[in-house]
Amino acid sequence: MAASGQPMFVRGLGATSRLIIWLLVGLAMVALDSRYHALEGLRASLALVTQPLRHAARAPFEMADEIVGFFTRHRALQSERDTLLQERAELHAEINASRDLVREYSELRRLAALDSRQELRGVTASLLYQGHDWFAQRITLDRGEKSALRAGLPVVGADGLVGQISRVYAASSEVTLVTNRDQLTPVFIERTGQRGLVAGSGRSGLLELRHMTVQTDVREGDLLMTSGVDRVYPAGIPVARVTRVSRSPANPYLRIECLPLAGIERDRVVRVLMPVAVEEKP
Amino acid sequence: MVSDKAAKHEAGSWRSLAMALLLAIWLQSLPWSGIGLVMRPDFLLLLVLYGCLHHPHRVGMGWAFALGLLSDFQDGVVFGQHAMAYVSGAYVMHLLRLRLLQFDPLRQSIQLLPVFVMVQLAVLLIGWLAVAPPSGWGIVLPAVSTTVLWYGVALIIQLWHGKGMRRE
Repeated sequence: MAASGQPMFVRGLGATSRLIIWLLVGLAMVALDSRYHALEGLRASLALVTQPLRHAARAPFEMADEIVGFFTRHRALQSERDTLLQERAELHAEINASRDLVREYSELRRLAALDSRQELRGVTASLLYQGHDWFAQRITLDRGEKSALRAGLPVVGADGLVGQISRVYAASSEVTLVTNRDQLTPVFIERTGQRGLVAGSGRSGLLELRHMTVQTDVREGDLLMTSGVDRVYPAGIPVARVTRVSRSPANPYLRIECLPLAGIERDRVVRVLMPVAVEEKP
Repeated sequence: MVSDKAAKHEAGSWRSLAMALLLAIWLQSLPWSGIGLVMRPDFLLLLVLYGCLHHPHRVGMGWAFALGLLSDFQDGVVFGQHAMAYVSGAYVMHLLRLRLLQFDPLRQSIQLLPVFVMVQLAVLLIGWLAVAPPSGWGIVLPAVSTTVLWYGVALIIQLWHGKGMRRE
């Protein structure tokens, strides 16, 4: 027996009880976060705290890039400039042609009394942090509320659709990639105009075109572009290319695997698209 | 005199823990990509378990939980997933502590491999139950790289001031 005046339990709770208490707290947090989204404040403050460290971690690599770029050979730069000049001339010709088409197109749309296409502007943002992608295919960008970003905006890379902004902090934002399991993207097949839904698979480099009946005309190599049906993504952004089409006798739908075009591994810089101004229609 | 020295030692050890924490977050934020990202060791977990082994009165389950939340935030997953896994890691560390202190860095890290694997599997299980089935078994790979890193860190710290080992 303990002597009088001496506490019986000197060390407080035992390890096992502490483990159980913490696990219960953890379970409560999982429930609060996944069911009620009640912990966004904690996320925002963690974003604020880790921001400088993330920037500090990127800085040496960016500097190294610049230094390497500085010593790029003169000859290489010249040849690159020549190619670019040539490309520019070609593009100019194409732009002139397409301007004419745009004018004609908008006139026709006006005649047909259809809504004009929403004009978009882009904000350039660069990759700030990429985490493990076992459960959430997400990346963090270095722009946030200060650049007028908000949740829901589409994010595109040089080659195609990257994803959609899902959380916005003060000076950073989280993008849910198209490969995320919960991410659905309305698309159409460029060759046929057939509309469909692309869903993430939870693995990088694999998307699925869902609910296409076996009669659908879809082949390997078909390009999928956003259809603009959901009014989230503007129409015509390349999303993925069909890599495999197979069917199982038990399933009324085709199994269509696609490869996302935007390479988040390759692009360090992306563009966030936002509408210029919302016109009020009577 | 003695208490002053002890206080100084205390403050110094807090400072080195804080530095280690900053270093861990910094290392985690480096632009890992491709296979490097898949194999990236879990620096925060390493810090937690190292703290549990060598500073059990300072680093306990509370710290494990807090750093687990940070890890959850970093990966953009549901809060509590890594936190619960780290707490169970700290618990196992509490049970194995006296045994692990007997070994040199190599044997220590070999014995810690199952602990790291267990923590990763806990992350996998909680994520599975709470959100969605995981994508592949790649989640176990960081356990291996964390083990290798533990060996490196333990070796360096041992060479630095002969800590972490009681050889007969």
